Amino acid sequence: MSEPTSNPSGRLRRALDWGKLAPLRLHAKSVADGVYAGGHRSRRRGAGIEFGGQRNYVPGDDLRFIDRHALLRHGELLVRQFETETDRTLCLLVDASASMSFRGDGAPAPKYAFAALIAAALTKIAVSSGDRVSLDWFGGERTVELATSGGREAFERVVGALETAEPSSDLQMDLSALERSVARVERRARQGASVVVLSDLIDLPDGALEAISALGVRGKTLVVARVLDPTELDFPFTGPVHLRALEGEARVETDAAAARPQYLAALAAHARVWSERLVARGGSLVETSSANDPVKTVRAVLDALGGRA
Amino acid sequence: MSFLVAAALGVGLFVVIPIAAHLLRRGRVRDRPFPPAALVPAARSVARERATIEDRLLLLLRGLAILCLAVIGATPFVRCSRLSLARSSGASVAFALVLDDSHSMRAKGAEGTHWSRATHAAQELLGSAREGDAIAIVLAGKPARLALAATTDLNAARRTLSELTDSDRSTDLESAIELARSSLAGLSHHDKRVVLLSDLAGGELPEGEPPLWVPLADLTNPLENCAICSAERHGHRVDARVACTSPAAAAGRSLSLTGSKSAAAVPLAVRAGEQDLGLDADPKLDHPELELSGADALASDDHAVVAAESAALGVLVVADVANASAETGGAPVLEQALGALESNAVLHPVALLPDDPSEFRGNALVLLDDPGGITPEARSALVGFLEQGGVAVAFLGPRAEQTPLGATLEPFVHGALHWEGAATSGIDDSSLAWLGPEAASLHDLTLRGRAALGTADLLGASVIATFSDKQPFLTERSVGRGAVFTVALPTSVERSDFPLRPAFLALLDYWVGEASTRRGVTQSSAGSEWLFPSGTTVSIDGPRGPLVARDHAGASGNPQKSFTPVVAGAYTVRIDDRREERVATIDPVEVTTLPRKPPDSAALARSKAGASNVDASPELGFVALALLGL
Repeated sequence: MSEPTSNPSGRLRRALDWGKLAPLRLHAKSVADGVYAGGHRSRRRGAGIEFGGQRNYVPGDDLRFIDRHALLRHGELLVRQFETETDRTLCLLVDASASMSFRGDGAPAPKYAFAALIAAALTKIAVSSGDRVSLDWFGGERTVELATSGGREAFERVVGALETAEPSSDLQMDLSALERSVARVERRARQGASVVVLSDLIDLPDGALEAISALGVRGKTLVVARVLDPTELDFPFTGPVHLRALEGEARVETDAAAARPQYLAALAAHARVWSERLVARGGSLVETSSANDPVKTVRAVLDALGGRA
Repeated sequence: MSFLVAAALGVGLFVVIPIAAHLLRRGRVRDRPFPPAALVPAARSVARERATIEDRLLLLLRGLAILCLAVIGATPFVRCSRLSLARSSGASVAFALVLDDSHSMRAKGAEGTHWSRATHAAQELLGSAREGDAIAIVLAGKPARLALAATTDLNAARRTLSELTDSDRSTDLESAIELARSSLAGLSHHDKRVVLLSDLAGGELPEGEPPLWVPLADLTNPLENCAICSAERHGHRVDARVACTSPAAAAGRSLSLTGSKSAAAVPLAVRAGEQDLGLDADPKLDHPELELSGADALASDDHAVVAAESAALGVLVVADVANASAETGGAPVLEQALGALESNAVLHPVALLPDDPSEFRGNALVLLDDPGGITPEARSALVGFLEQGGVAVAFLGPRAEQTPLGATLEPFVHGALHWEGAATSGIDDSSLAWLGPEAASLHDLTLRGRAALGTADLLGASVIATFSDKQPFLTERSVGRGAVFTVALPTSVERSDFPLRPAFLALLDYWVGEASTRRGVTQSSAGSEWLFPSGTTVSIDGPRGPLVARDHAGASGNPQKSFTPVVAGAYTVRIDDRREERVATIDPVEVTTLPRKPPDSAALARSKAGASNVDASPELGFVALALLGL
């Protein structure tokens, strides 16, 4: 189990081990090729001309699109959707906190590397479809925020930024830093934009759920991809273990066999809370593992976004 | 301290290894990075305490195992010694195993009884024998016996060895060693050895070739033991003979009757040797037993069965005082001769042979001197006496031809008997050789006549001694379980000087012994033979089950059945339809004779014989340690 990249405090920083996912550029293209299906017509629904169906109203929806007939006939608040070909911006928000540098035994790469691969593949797909891409972070060092841009250069810039960033910093007690990142995404993402958050959702400060879920309002489509390590999903330890979180001061000594059921239950409850809140805000949660096939993960994200880019 | 011992003790220092492993194991629960640690419930108390307890127990067991192995390796707590035969030049070896199966070998030491150690050592030696080696097995219990003549059949030797049992016999080392040496004498093997597996308690060790090897020298360590050698009931009293090896063995111990609450225990005198003790016995006790309090090296001889009261051997002497006495007066010659035997026989002199069977009761031997005829009533009573196992001897004289009407000399001779003048001057001593060296004293006799047995009807009797002219001098005939002997000379010194010769006493002693054997004894030493006429049906049950009969030739050549009780205790003897109880006892000398240290020559013979004694216990300890380490 590799140690995470330490917080630079005058010590020599170790570069992130990208594991089997290096080089990112080639892998991202490969994943994108596996997903990409050529030129397409966007099926993202939002403001537009052609009617594209109805969905439940969520707070923040434009009241102009409330289906009055359905309200009067059935007493349900439904929002009319229209297919649009405009404003197909993909806003990426990547978690580069210290917990993302975790790589358990048997995992092909750290969680951050997997998240970066997904982000790069989504960028490649978006750029290939003519959509624009922006990149923002919460946590991490040597991170470069990229304004909304398109074209082949956008992909190169995104990949370069992803490769340059190093997962670090403790976000647990720094809600303001997270809120600043979310605010930047909100500013970049207009109505109809797709927002993809790549994070392990672990060790985030209180209020992070509210802040992130707010990205799904105002005509934006929010997908949160939770990336976990296989070790975090399975808890394969045996005997007495002493566990230490990478962010915050959490230390726990336990008997692995006895703690495993309770841990898995707590992990599932954690995902359920996020999922329910995101759904309530029109978003969705995609759960994946750094050991999963990245193609399938990208497809799952795209499916959650409501269509391929 | 040898290098191996020091090294084995040094192994004990390895106890630090499990301690270090324990500390390492404790430190193995170190921090693991795990981002969602906040979701993991703490269960420190259960996990940690369980691990701690397991660790401490494991540490304790590992540490103890290493220390124990170090001690085992350093000291021969577990002996793996085994005896083996080394060969000087690889040639075959002939060796005689002298196994002492006497009573003292039943003593128990720290490693089992001496007998079990001796047989185990014999098996080890036998195990190292090869094809071509010759082996003889001799038993040193009295009398010394050749259990297996020298043979190269090792399987036969193993079979013989497995069938040997311990006993309460006395020790006869001297004869056993001579027997062992003679058993090897005829063998062509160049390398010959006599292995003595004994505690050396009894007898001298004769010098000679092949030399003795005493491999189990520790058997000669003295042991504390007291034994009830014999006990016999006399009315309301029980007389017991107890023997102790040392005063310490007798200190604080007492003799008592088992099952009798009224009888008080009699303390032993605190001294070594034999001591006779008497106890009051309850007359209602049918089969009283004695026991010694306390414990010693040999528990089996602390209990003993009390033998029934043995009546003294009764001898009925029918002699005419006027004719059978010496000119100097006194009792008849027969009575004086019997008194000179010191046979503890009780004489019952009578003038006439009783015609009442009850008057024969209590007697085992009837001696008739110059009978003038036996009436039918007396004859009937005499035959009844004979059929019950009695012995009758008739010294025929001149009155034999003067039998009155109605009287005969049966069952000795049928019909008339002629008294003839002496035609010879002695006895053919070769015909009387079975009597021993005393027979020669009859070679030249002064005779004034003899009974003409050669012309008489002897009723099928066999002639066991003759005059020098081959005329019968002494005949023997079995009647029932008894026997009749007919002598052609009277005991009167006026007729011959036969009663003045040593052979006369020897013959009387032989008849007393014969009568005693046929009547039976109530107790005898373990290992002594019980003889019965071959025509009788005898079965004997003892402490170890039924005894096996062996055919035995009597002193006069008559076939007999021989039984040998080898362990002390009560035996039930069934003779035809009669049943009697006998007791085998322990020879007190066997108890009081202390083991002796082997002479230097016997100890040195070990190296000369080239035998080896392998002790593998330290190596075993190291091997065990290595296994534990694995």
